[in-house]
Amino acid sequence: MFRKILIANRGEIALRIICACKELGISSVAVYSEADRNALHVRFADEAVCIGPARAAESYLNIPQVISAAEITNVDAIHPGYGFLAENANFAEVCEASHITFLGPSPEVIRMMGEKDRARREAAAAGLPIIRGTDGVVEDEHAALRQAKEIGYPLMIKATAGGGGRGMRIVRTPAEIVASFRAAGMEAQQAFGVPDLYMEKYIDRPRHIEFQVLGDRHGRVIHLGERECSVQRRHQKLIEESPSPAVDEATREAMGARVVAALEKIGYSGAGTVEFLRDSSGEFYFLEMNTRIQVEHPVTEAVTSVDLIKAQIRLAAGEKMDEVVPRVVFHGHSIECRINAEDPETFAPSPGRITAFHFPGGHGVRVDTAMYSDAVVPPYYDSLIAKLIVRATDRSEAIARMRRALEMFVIEGVKTTIPLHRRIMDDLQFQRGDLHTGFLDHLLESRAR
Amino acid sequence: MAKKRNGNASTPASAPRVDLAEVTRVLAFMSEHGLQELEYSSGEFRVRLKRQEATGAGPSAVAHAPAPSRAVPPPAPPAAESQNRTAAAPPAQPADHLHTVKSPIVGTFYASPTPDAAPFVKVGDVVSQGQILCIVEAMKLMNEIESDQAGEIARVFVENGQPVEYGQPLFALQPA
Repeated sequence: MFRKILIANRGEIALRIICACKELGISSVAVYSEADRNALHVRFADEAVCIGPARAAESYLNIPQVISAAEITNVDAIHPGYGFLAENANFAEVCEASHITFLGPSPEVIRMMGEKDRARREAAAAGLPIIRGTDGVVEDEHAALRQAKEIGYPLMIKATAGGGGRGMRIVRTPAEIVASFRAAGMEAQQAFGVPDLYMEKYIDRPRHIEFQVLGDRHGRVIHLGERECSVQRRHQKLIEESPSPAVDEATREAMGARVVAALEKIGYSGAGTVEFLRDSSGEFYFLEMNTRIQVEHPVTEAVTSVDLIKAQIRLAAGEKMDEVVPRVVFHGHSIECRINAEDPETFAPSPGRITAFHFPGGHGVRVDTAMYSDAVVPPYYDSLIAKLIVRATDRSEAIARMRRALEMFVIEGVKTTIPLHRRIMDDLQFQRGDLHTGFLDHLLESRAR
Repeated sequence: MAKKRNGNASTPASAPRVDLAEVTRVLAFMSEHGLQELEYSSGEFRVRLKRQEATGAGPSAVAHAPAPSRAVPPPAPPAAESQNRTAAAPPAQPADHLHTVKSPIVGTFYASPTPDAAPFVKVGDVVSQGQILCIVEAMKLMNEIESDQAGEIARVFVENGQPVEYGQPLFALQPA
């Protein structure tokens, strides 16, 4: 088992990992930028090293600084959390070269899943259903036009190096394709440094359903059920839940088995999530795979009682799946609301000092946050300030519990998306479970009118 | 919503009258005689003055240590925290006229170019801008740290072989 782990991250996930380390008796090392001097992850880690100024590129994304911090504190492993360097294959390689265990899959697998068009091909080769699309990068506008004809309209142009919903364009008619292709290429170049694009059939009103997986270092992979993450704004998830209202036990078992088989074939280890789109006829299509722990992992923890971060660490240390997660049993329903420091109507970021902070408790309520009264939400990083997770016996109780918890969550000094979440909990369509990825955008539009 | 304030020392309701003129005289006296600390009482009036300079190796001056101890100077904690933590000072600030050379990277501080060589600089040396003051080793690379100002080395804050973090004070310079 590891003696000491460095957490190459900040905020709530850094704190989450520190929790797991403490429970496993592992020493923790926090790294922080100058903007995070007073952050909770710095306070609660056993050691902390300042690695740079506020800007992420000069601190949390600065590989030499992070590795150097790992060396001077003499850690065995680095946990990258999510975002930042979590899916950076180069970073994973540097860790290996420095004889530090990277808590995630191998650099090759990270790379494979990081290039989105390649991930599609590998997923298909491993037996997962994929959306009809180009077999690799689209060379130019002429190729785009030609291949689009084969795929059929409407289709989606996507950046191969992309993710998080950026570098994407929907194209509905042949007349639009050339212009969209050019625009998407430029956007991809700017956002990801690589202009490469691929295309796939666009599925109308899909549900975003993802499967949580864990793999040990002995070739065994398991799944821990699905999460529905269809409530998104501009491809950013806001609310996640498990189980999905659209997935029954038979479907869960069938899709889960396919996912497990595919990942065992690929040789996956660590925590990961396989994301699908599910169309209105119930067909699943592989979207992408995230080779890391995800923001919404507590939802799965709530319905399975498995501590995913502890499991991740133990499996990385070489323990076998049978010892770490002997069985997976699903209980009840869980919902998570991501609370961001943003204006709930304009979504403009709202950094600043929090003047009052009281989060709800009680039966079936969990809050993961690194915020506290008098803390400063810095403007340099993402706007997530808290995750509110409820669990209950069924979905309607979960919604009732979430409504009450949101009502009792006090955050003053910065604007938050709590009012929006309350609005969604009250929405009849949400309550019916009648969800698709356009649901929230539609709700916001209709409110604006 | 009620919030607990940090327990900074607050004036009790009935304090003896503070004679500022007296305090000023005491301060001048301290300065003249180069005193760091002085306790003075006269009748009901009693005052204790301590010069906050980088002379003492305050716990926050060299904030980073490799082993279990905290590596970070603990500034203002969450409001609900107890009185203990409020006493923590910000990283050692040398007297105002000195310039601090801080580490731009995380790594291990080495005073000399090689283990058996003499240190690059010592207290009293006059250095030019751009002159190499030390090495900070990171990922097996020896990074030469240059002085960002010309001046005389007044203080060396770290020891040979000590791990340092970003922004950690390395040297205090009396600018030329």
